[in-house]
Amino acid sequence: MAEVKTKEEPRIGVFVCHCGTNIAGSVDVKAVVEYARKLPNVAVADDYQYMCSTPGQNKIRDAIKEHNLTGVVVAACSPRLHEPTFRGATKMGGLNPFRFEMANIREQNSWVHMHQPEEATAKAKDAIRIAVAKAALLEDLVPKSVPVEKAAMVVGGGVGGMQAALDLANAGIKTYLVEKNPTIGGRMSQLDKTFPTLDCSQCILTPKMVDVYRNENIELLTYTEVEAVEGYIGNFDVTLRKKARGVLTTEEAEARGYVGGGCNGCGDCEGVCPVIKPNPFEVGMAPRKAIYIYHPQVSPLLYTVDFDACVKCGLCVDICGDKKAIDLNATDEFMNVKVGTVILATGYDIFPIEEKTEWGYKRYDNVITSLEFERLICASGPTGGHLVRPSDGETPKRIGFVLCAGSRDNTGVGKPYCSRFCCMYSLKHAHQIIEKIPGAVPYIFYMDIRSFGKMYEEFYYRIQNEGAKFIRGRVANILEDPVTKNLHVNAEDTLLGRPVDVEVDLVVLAAAIQPSAETERTRRLFGVSCSQDGWLLEAHPKLNPCGTTTAGVYLAGVCQGPKDIPDTVAQAEGAASAASIPIHLGEVELEPYFAQCIEEKCAGCGLCVNLCPYSALALVEKDGRRVMQVTEAKCKGCGTCGGFCPGGAIWMQHFATPQIIAQIDAFLLGGEE
Amino acid sequence: MSENKRQYAFFLGCVAPNRYPGIEAAAIKTSEKVGIELLPLKGASCCPAPGAFGSIDLNIWYAMAARNLVLAEQMGMDIALICNGCYKSIWEVNHKLKHNDELRDGVNEVLKEIDMEFKGSIDVWHLAELYYDPKIVGVDKIAESVTRPLTGVKVGVHYGCHLMKPQKDRHFGDTENPMWLDELVAALGAEPVQYRNKMQCCGAGGGVRGYDLTHALDITNEKMINLQEVGADALTEVCPFCQLQFDRGQLEIQEKFGIAWGLPVLHYNELLGLAQGMSPDELALDLHAVDVEPFLKKIL
Repeated sequence: MAEVKTKEEPRIGVFVCHCGTNIAGSVDVKAVVEYARKLPNVAVADDYQYMCSTPGQNKIRDAIKEHNLTGVVVAACSPRLHEPTFRGATKMGGLNPFRFEMANIREQNSWVHMHQPEEATAKAKDAIRIAVAKAALLEDLVPKSVPVEKAAMVVGGGVGGMQAALDLANAGIKTYLVEKNPTIGGRMSQLDKTFPTLDCSQCILTPKMVDVYRNENIELLTYTEVEAVEGYIGNFDVTLRKKARGVLTTEEAEARGYVGGGCNGCGDCEGVCPVIKPNPFEVGMAPRKAIYIYHPQVSPLLYTVDFDACVKCGLCVDICGDKKAIDLNATDEFMNVKVGTVILATGYDIFPIEEKTEWGYKRYDNVITSLEFERLICASGPTGGHLVRPSDGETPKRIGFVLCAGSRDNTGVGKPYCSRFCCMYSLKHAHQIIEKIPGAVPYIFYMDIRSFGKMYEEFYYRIQNEGAKFIRGRVANILEDPVTKNLHVNAEDTLLGRPVDVEVDLVVLAAAIQPSAETERTRRLFGVSCSQDGWLLEAHPKLNPCGTTTAGVYLAGVCQGPKDIPDTVAQAEGAASAASIPIHLGEVELEPYFAQCIEEKCAGCGLCVNLCPYSALALVEKDGRRVMQVTEAKCKGCGTCGGFCPGGAIWMQHFATPQIIAQIDAFLLGGEE
Repeated sequence: MSENKRQYAFFLGCVAPNRYPGIEAAAIKTSEKVGIELLPLKGASCCPAPGAFGSIDLNIWYAMAARNLVLAEQMGMDIALICNGCYKSIWEVNHKLKHNDELRDGVNEVLKEIDMEFKGSIDVWHLAELYYDPKIVGVDKIAESVTRPLTGVKVGVHYGCHLMKPQKDRHFGDTENPMWLDELVAALGAEPVQYRNKMQCCGAGGGVRGYDLTHALDITNEKMINLQEVGADALTEVCPFCQLQFDRGQLEIQEKFGIAWGLPVLHYNELLGLAQGMSPDELALDLHAVDVEPFLKKIL
């Protein structure tokens, strides 16, 4: 329970920042300081060019001592930027850091009222008057430390998630790697080669997959989804749904008493299974059975039963024999894990490019997406690496590549953003067909070629020299010749200033990407925000690209925004580093903005308990009556209970009712004569 | 007048009454038979033409179109119209003024001079979309109104750009491969044929015809090539301005390029009129530039 402070004479120091001309350009700082000096309880008022600089902070420190201040107000930028700085300065002066209050006179004032100096100055005076009123009532608060669970979770087993898990594990942290698909590897395992080095994608990825599988600190949970999340940084309690797989690992088999049993990946079951379905790994271009693996290099090498397709004929069970690896009666299982921090690496899906009807995907046989191209050109793909036209199986000679297919598109159907890796992989595709098909000519329809990375521009020149044709212009539409199934690509060549109609054998659409289907659900479970386009929102776009606004949850890879493999891996390592810090520290400080129950006033009605969105409140017996009790570590200080309590029995620390009333009074009753 | 008829303020436009009066007659008479009564929108001006006015002064375009809209608001009726150009102006200005307060205030400032105010109380429809909408008419009811099915003819369908684009401001779904007008043609007993580059422009719109006639005719000619490729007996559209380009344009093509296509071009309402038993005279088909007779021989 918060101490009700005994009366002390408040002595407030007010410090107004010029922020160069950011504030002083429209706010008359000197006039504001003069005004602040006359406010009740203000012991000193001063201004400085940059309050956040060391001399600026020293001013605060020295003034606290010199004027025996009880509270500090800084009028400057947003508290999101410099509240920690000024709390530090307040502490240096010997005051409790929560005796500090910030008035935002930049983002919410000088920047938006750039051409209204008089109004801006008046508004700054209001903001300071309000802040001073609160500062006079501030109390000493002590942040609460909670221990951090020595484990982490990574959601998503693509290259980003794998890298993050490996880094965490190698730093000695127990890491749960959760992947919804039956194997890790993600999108990268579907790719044939990577730009600009032309390494075989699988060849560089599979060693990492093996590392993940073998790492003793990693608990690999494939075919598993996050079901529910409770808790907070340091103490996330995550419920996982292990989807019914129908196939036992050797460990699971042993647990059932089948020593030496369990799936060894022999594939006999697949041989006898009579049910055929399209393989999503091959973008539906190759079949798989109802019991399947995606491809030979899966990790873990463990078959999976597709229970939506399985007819339970039992042939697989028979041929599996003594290994007893198959259980056709399997059901989903749930498990709980406790982790200190979480990294989301949920990746992307391909935008359904058939929605851009002008290009005829799914209407014309010979219009394919880049991901389909990757599988068709890949030696382990459905055609053994022979690129063919879907309409007749012939080898295409003239191939059109449509870049920005659904990206940088403001028509309302596509995506406004750049998908960022399509230029580069399309250049790689052009190289691959020139290399593999004698006489093949790639026609690349582009808006700009964005070859921004290391050795990327050089790669672009290389492909130009290899003979690819570049046509700068957005493709207006594609028309199919009904007889030959060839395609006429109509575009404006903006360099020649005339429309072109290029007849090609095959069109490859470099389709836009969008957040993977499960991203929205997953982010809600972890309380992470997203931007307008659905990508997960980082804590700061430049200075905190791996963090989120939810403490303890970090981002890696494309789920945060389109990026290529090097950028994904780099961000994953950053996220792993950030996620390991609280774990290595062992405890984290929580902002002390907890609700507190004033027990003498509490009637024990319990209405607040049901209102609390974080399950932080409970009713307990105390001295023979029921009162509410707050679990401080769970409380986020949202104030729902405090605002509702009919008896006024809930005290919101740092946002207490008297403090807020004082602010309102200062605004409504104060002001210049 | 039957009590369950729906009434609309009929916005005529300029091209239909001046060049193809048969379209106007057909619109009124054919709609009557499917439960739509078209009442004259008295005092209406040009829509005004989106390309000609819109590309010179948008404010004039907004204000003039708004004036036409206010006339219908005063009648308390939605507008029905028969031309894609009119649709672009009247529908789009209505849509914009309803969703942009600033624009609406500016337009009302101008309208105040003639004691008018845009209120945003009505909707605007192309007659063809009313025909297709099962809640208003629907394909079945159109088929029921047919007394002389147009069996044995292949008809190419032209939708027209101003009706379908820009797609984010329209509500017709697929704007690249639409089929709804084809369904309305099939309801008359004719066979709607699919041809290459169906959504291509007629060649005239957006000021292209006024700016570069040869280029406009080039586009029209390509359209003719693609229609001939699939053996179309006629071309139908829902826009008198497209009709003008396809019909009279064929004479210009003959003059400039020396190609005589002889492809009859009929507005959907003219086609519907024929199917409902109206005579070619009633439809003033003799005013078409390209002889419609070969097509009539196949159906009459």
